[in-house]
Amino acid sequence: MNQTQKSDSKVFTFFKTLTLVAILLFLLFPLYWVLITAFKTNLEAYRYPPTFFPRVPVIDSFVSLFKENNQFFVYYKNNIIVSSFVALLCCIVAIFAGYSLARFKNRWNRWFFALLLASQMFPVISRMISLYTIMGKLDIINTLAGLSLALLAAQAPFCIILMSSFFAGIPKEIEEAAYVDGAGRFRILFSIITPLVKSGLVAVGIYAFLMTWDDYLHAATLIQADGKRTLSVGIALRYLGELSYDWSLVNTISIVGTIPVVLLFFFFQKYMIKGLVAGAVKG
Amino acid sequence: MRKIVALLMILVVMGSFLFAAGKTEAPAADTPVTIKVANYAILESGYEPFWKGVKTGFEAKYPNITIEWVTAPYGEIVNQVVNMAGGGNIVDVLFGEIDWVPGLVDAGLAAPVKDILPAAFLNDFYPDVLKSFEVGGTPYGVPLYVSPYVLYYNMDLFKQAGLDPQKPPKTYDEMLAYAAKLSLLKDANGNKVYAFGQTTASVPVSGASLNAMVFNFGGQVLDAQGKLAVDNQGFKDAFAMLQLLDSKGYNPQNAKLKDLRNLFALGQLAMYYDQSWGFNGIKSINPNAKDFTASAEPLKGGAGTGESLLQAHCFILMDNGKTQTAAVSKFVEYVISEEVLSSYLRDLTPAYPAKKSMAAMESVANNGILKGASPAAGRVRVQTFIPKISALNLELASLAQAVTVGKQDVASSIEKFKTTATVKISQ
Amino acid sequence: MKTKQLSRHRSDTYFSLFLDLPAILLTVSFIIVPIVDSVIKSFQTFGLKNIISKKPGIWNNFANYLYLLKTDEFGNATMHTFSFVLWIVVVQFVLAMLLALILNSNIKGARFMRSIMMTPWVVPTVISALIWMWLFQPQYGLLKYLVSVVTGGRVSEFAILNNPATALAGVGIAALWKQIPLMTLLLLAGLQNVPHDISEAAMIDGAGKVRRFFSIILPYLSPVIKVSLSMAIIENFKQFPLFWTMTGGGPNNATTTLAVLSYREAFVGMNLGAGAAITTLWMGMMIVVIFLYNKAFRIQDMQ
Repeated sequence: MNQTQKSDSKVFTFFKTLTLVAILLFLLFPLYWVLITAFKTNLEAYRYPPTFFPRVPVIDSFVSLFKENNQFFVYYKNNIIVSSFVALLCCIVAIFAGYSLARFKNRWNRWFFALLLASQMFPVISRMISLYTIMGKLDIINTLAGLSLALLAAQAPFCIILMSSFFAGIPKEIEEAAYVDGAGRFRILFSIITPLVKSGLVAVGIYAFLMTWDDYLHAATLIQADGKRTLSVGIALRYLGELSYDWSLVNTISIVGTIPVVLLFFFFQKYMIKGLVAGAVKG
Repeated sequence: MRKIVALLMILVVMGSFLFAAGKTEAPAADTPVTIKVANYAILESGYEPFWKGVKTGFEAKYPNITIEWVTAPYGEIVNQVVNMAGGGNIVDVLFGEIDWVPGLVDAGLAAPVKDILPAAFLNDFYPDVLKSFEVGGTPYGVPLYVSPYVLYYNMDLFKQAGLDPQKPPKTYDEMLAYAAKLSLLKDANGNKVYAFGQTTASVPVSGASLNAMVFNFGGQVLDAQGKLAVDNQGFKDAFAMLQLLDSKGYNPQNAKLKDLRNLFALGQLAMYYDQSWGFNGIKSINPNAKDFTASAEPLKGGAGTGESLLQAHCFILMDNGKTQTAAVSKFVEYVISEEVLSSYLRDLTPAYPAKKSMAAMESVANNGILKGASPAAGRVRVQTFIPKISALNLELASLAQAVTVGKQDVASSIEKFKTTATVKISQ
Repeated sequence: MKTKQLSRHRSDTYFSLFLDLPAILLTVSFIIVPIVDSVIKSFQTFGLKNIISKKPGIWNNFANYLYLLKTDEFGNATMHTFSFVLWIVVVQFVLAMLLALILNSNIKGARFMRSIMMTPWVVPTVISALIWMWLFQPQYGLLKYLVSVVTGGRVSEFAILNNPATALAGVGIAALWKQIPLMTLLLLAGLQNVPHDISEAAMIDGAGKVRRFFSIILPYLSPVIKVSLSMAIIENFKQFPLFWTMTGGGPNNATTTLAVLSYREAFVGMNLGAGAAITTLWMGMMIVVIFLYNKAFRIQDMQ
């Protein structure tokens, strides 16, 4: 590898750096822009040409978010409840089905796998109306539990496939040995195999959490009471209001709404990256 | 294994918490009636305090009735109500736009208001206004107030351009002459000032506003039978005008009404069309806007007399049985009264009362913002109701975009519009 | 021994079915049944009336499909969808590959850059739409300013989302912003799995950088590329919130994709049957695309 470095001409290094800087700027500058807009007054935000650093940084929009628009935190709390619940359940479903897919290569599982692949492709819009009717019959419409179930169903297929790629990496001999020792199937699965795929489990959990945090259509359709809404919808409500824009507030909300997932990601990124890569590459 | 059991326990607890949370909103046992009111305005910070006040005031007056808000954003509340009805959960009242009435009547949701509200109350409404809620001769909604399209203009910008702020333009030709001067201005930051705003974005309400503009030119979009009838000079003139405004750079492109309110509030838009209540949006961006805002009647164009489209925020009622409708009736009568609406019309939503007994209301008679546009309230035309009015409005917005940002020729764009719109409204 | 194995085999099957059960129940009741239901509705006259009165729709002899043929909207929406998917996937792949290659060379701070570059990926879609709308804002937006600076003031009114020729690209930029990080991550992981000796052996043979990339590294990456591309294709084929928040399908229908059209038809025009017909065709196209895509990769793998 060192040799490669030496053989790099200056021109090549220059272009490499330039490309790197350009792409990173594209990815990161918008975040900086949102951050500084949140600290501008609305009147400064509407200034043209725009200022690249707030002249007088103000925290008005943060104050107003915490004081007046605190309905926002209800959305927040709901989203944390729903996302954690989905993440947990998703892990359990994924342990069950992922293990089954990885270990038992029978005819049923081939169909099951096809079912999972197919169900990821269908657009959410096309099933919203029927979903509403079905959930109405089960009497779980307009409840966080119902929303969680619908989201769980939407996230489960990918999570299962991801999980099964981790199980596939566990040598079969381990469980064979336990089987011979007379351990039951569930014991083998939960106390012998599952601990070996901990990092995969974390990846699946975080992935499910992030994806439900991103949900818009499910929550928009299945929840009517304002006290039960989740974040994306809540934000869209405030933004999509017909009356007017409040860009400082919108930017503030964007930041506050993104922070938990960013923290979560950075905190668990080791597992997350490993997990996603393993899932995608092997699966 | 123990860990797994613990995990499952946590889940069960969390689950029961979730389901419990879903049920706790049921009314306490001793409250006889809860009415469900679908209201997007609860979510708009400009309106929220008013509606909260309505709930508190109403529940204090009628302690046995509880109001339960059903909310969704403006653009989605009709879907919400429909979806809920599909699941067997029909709201009692929907606060909304006149254009939502035909779709809900077609769906079999909206109930005739005379089945629910007392005749004495209904007779107090201006007959013309109530007439605009009729489907097959029966009104299916009651207006809270009438908010016609008006021309808002910025008196300060008029002065800077050497124009008399007391003399707003009366015709499109005058407006163009004014615009030539206004468009030379720059705001305090050196930004461009747009002369004239007409919304053309891809939302149904833009289509309604374009419809009003067609009326300004004496044209029509639908005939009395609800058939598409756009082969008239007024229709062509209106869209030719839009193209002209665009080519001169007077009109902010592809703008929603809230974009226009924003620009107007910041002094970057000299004149624009909006429903009268749009001033609430302007004020929420720039509290000082009332010092420079004035209103005028919609412009006359071509052979037209400057007629405009009637718009009104209204209650659409649904029949959920006697106990419910009795409570609904009390609610509607409570809200559409001078007592409740007075401060609302003065401070939040400049608009004209829809009831005769409210005509002399102090807060309306002395409303500086609306003074100039007063005659507009009398010169409104009603759009024929068709169930697919929203789809038609979207097509109107697309047509406006075709002749402006799409740079296409007016005549051929109208032909294309005719084909598409005919198919859309026939289905 | 043989019978024991047989029974073990059977009990394996039961056990695996049992494990699959929760997932099957979820998927069937929340995804498959609604999808089938929507396909059925696409052959029926089905409007609000039917939802509310709970009357089943009436078979209408393909009227919903014929209705789509009467205007050029469906054709245009299909075009927009395909060109969006194609462009986004290609550009995304190229940029992500460049970034991954650079981060994979011995560059200082690569690990740190890898983690911070992932941030856009975790930003919720609705928020990323808002962020880009703010950057694209036609009067005070940053992009307008940058364009006017770069062109020396000649283009002073640049509003990417207001021009039918550029609006699709505007939404595309937001999509790229959110999606490049994940693809980079996957490709980077793939690159790190390329054994050193292979690429070094080629270098000793005197293969140039470019040739080494195309003839050694790329084939080695093929499985990763296959997965990450198919994820990108599906995601962009289905894309809805970005369009709905940023443009609503305008201007002049330039960003009306199949997702927007079906939503409009079903939920704004309240013609649920026609909306279902669009989603049905849309799903059909997606299945065909993914099928062809897999086939193309299989042929390539065999070579």
